[in-house]
Amino acid sequence: MTRRVLVLVGVLVAGCASTGQVSLGEVREFADASARLGGYAELSRRYRDTYERELPYLSPQAERVARDTDARRRAVFDDFIAIQKTLVLYMQTLSSLAGDGRYDMSGRIDDLGSGLKAMTDSGLQQRHVAAYTGMTRLLTRVITSRYQNRSVDTMVRDGNADVQTLIDAMIVLTRIYEKANENERKTVLGLFSAEIPMANRNTDRMLVTLAKVHLQNKTAEYKLIDRRYKLAQQGLTKVALGHQKMRENMDKLSSEETRHMLAGYVHDLNLIRDALSGE
Amino acid sequence: MATSSHSNPDQASGDADTTLPSATPRQEAASSLPNKPPTPDAIVTTVTPGMPPAAADAHDVDSAARANALSNMQCVVDLADSVVCIADDLHERILQEIAGYNDRTMPDAQKALMRALTDDERLLRQYAHALYADAATFVIQDLKEPQHRLMALTAEAAEKIRRIGVIGEVTGLVGGILLLVGSIARGQFSQVGAALEKIQLHNATLKTLKPGSPAKT
Repeated sequence: MTRRVLVLVGVLVAGCASTGQVSLGEVREFADASARLGGYAELSRRYRDTYERELPYLSPQAERVARDTDARRRAVFDDFIAIQKTLVLYMQTLSSLAGDGRYDMSGRIDDLGSGLKAMTDSGLQQRHVAAYTGMTRLLTRVITSRYQNRSVDTMVRDGNADVQTLIDAMIVLTRIYEKANENERKTVLGLFSAEIPMANRNTDRMLVTLAKVHLQNKTAEYKLIDRRYKLAQQGLTKVALGHQKMRENMDKLSSEETRHMLAGYVHDLNLIRDALSGE
Repeated sequence: MATSSHSNPDQASGDADTTLPSATPRQEAASSLPNKPPTPDAIVTTVTPGMPPAAADAHDVDSAARANALSNMQCVVDLADSVVCIADDLHERILQEIAGYNDRTMPDAQKALMRALTDDERLLRQYAHALYADAATFVIQDLKEPQHRLMALTAEAAEKIRRIGVIGEVTGLVGGILLLVGSIARGQFSQVGAALEKIQLHNATLKTLKPGSPAKT
């Protein structure tokens, strides 16, 4: 009898051990690093506030056009942020699934809100909106089921297409932010490069000096921000790529190669996050 | 157009046509990402400065424009980029004119003209901003041909700004471009035809001028 019990325990332990061999540590770390990646939200806010920064440099006629554009930027800002919030919640939930402890994320379900408010107006393409809807549905299902049949595999498999589409939307938007910022830089700095050489009278000297100091400061500001667009795009690309690779290698997560690959993405994402937060 | 190679003094940190850094495995990412918005007409690469104005028939453009001009997000971005290029060229031309005075004091009338042109440049940039906002907020219906023609025309206008001999002639041309770009940015397609005519007229005038270095007035 005792021997039978021991054999049974042995079988159970062996069973547990074989499940335990599938290390989800790298999955958790990748999801954590993806959720913590900064840049996009900050650059979205910067894009939204373009008008305020440009205002002192605009002629009345240009200001009228700018004001109209400002209203349109503000109208869609919440939608642009909603995409990022959804992706972050997805990564946090994935991290919880891959973790050892018990998590209750039902409070976070409110963060999903009621979908993209300005769907028809929003510039997101139909596939972006569909991906957002699909993602929120998946998250609601995973979170409210309290991880019954918890499965990283299912979540990554079901979520991958939408993750890719949402990140694609974020990259496209970040590129547009970058272009708008470039145009803003030329609006601001261009005024000085034309006005300073024309102000060559003795009485202009003080004004020209002050203008040159201001120009120096603004040039430095734009140089710093330029780098952040690149970093944000790099980070998003890494998240997309890492998730795609995870999806492709779901059946061999415990292999040394897959774990090494995921660890590589985590390393890169941490470097990018450090670079974004260190400036 | 977007590949304009002239250098701009205040473009220290790169061209408007930015690309991802080489460190990013973009190619690899692209294969894993869903397709980006398609760019079927490859507008930017097919338009070369100095090509004949393809939009000679304003009626065609007007009727096509009424059918709603911009085909998708990427096309709107391309159009915005081309407006930025025109503004860049105008800026460059203004700086050339100012530099031509060296240490001599510029007459007040000429300064007023330069300031009016920098105002125009900044207005163009606001229209570009409006188009970027459009790109982020609209997916506009198909109409590739008229947009292609508009791009060709703006490319030619930008080339004229670069090469024009007499800066005063720029003002009329820029006025036409502002009307055109403003109409597009505001979605007032009924005005596109008139704006195109105005630009054609100025282009015809400008063709009689020999391109060269800016005149020292």
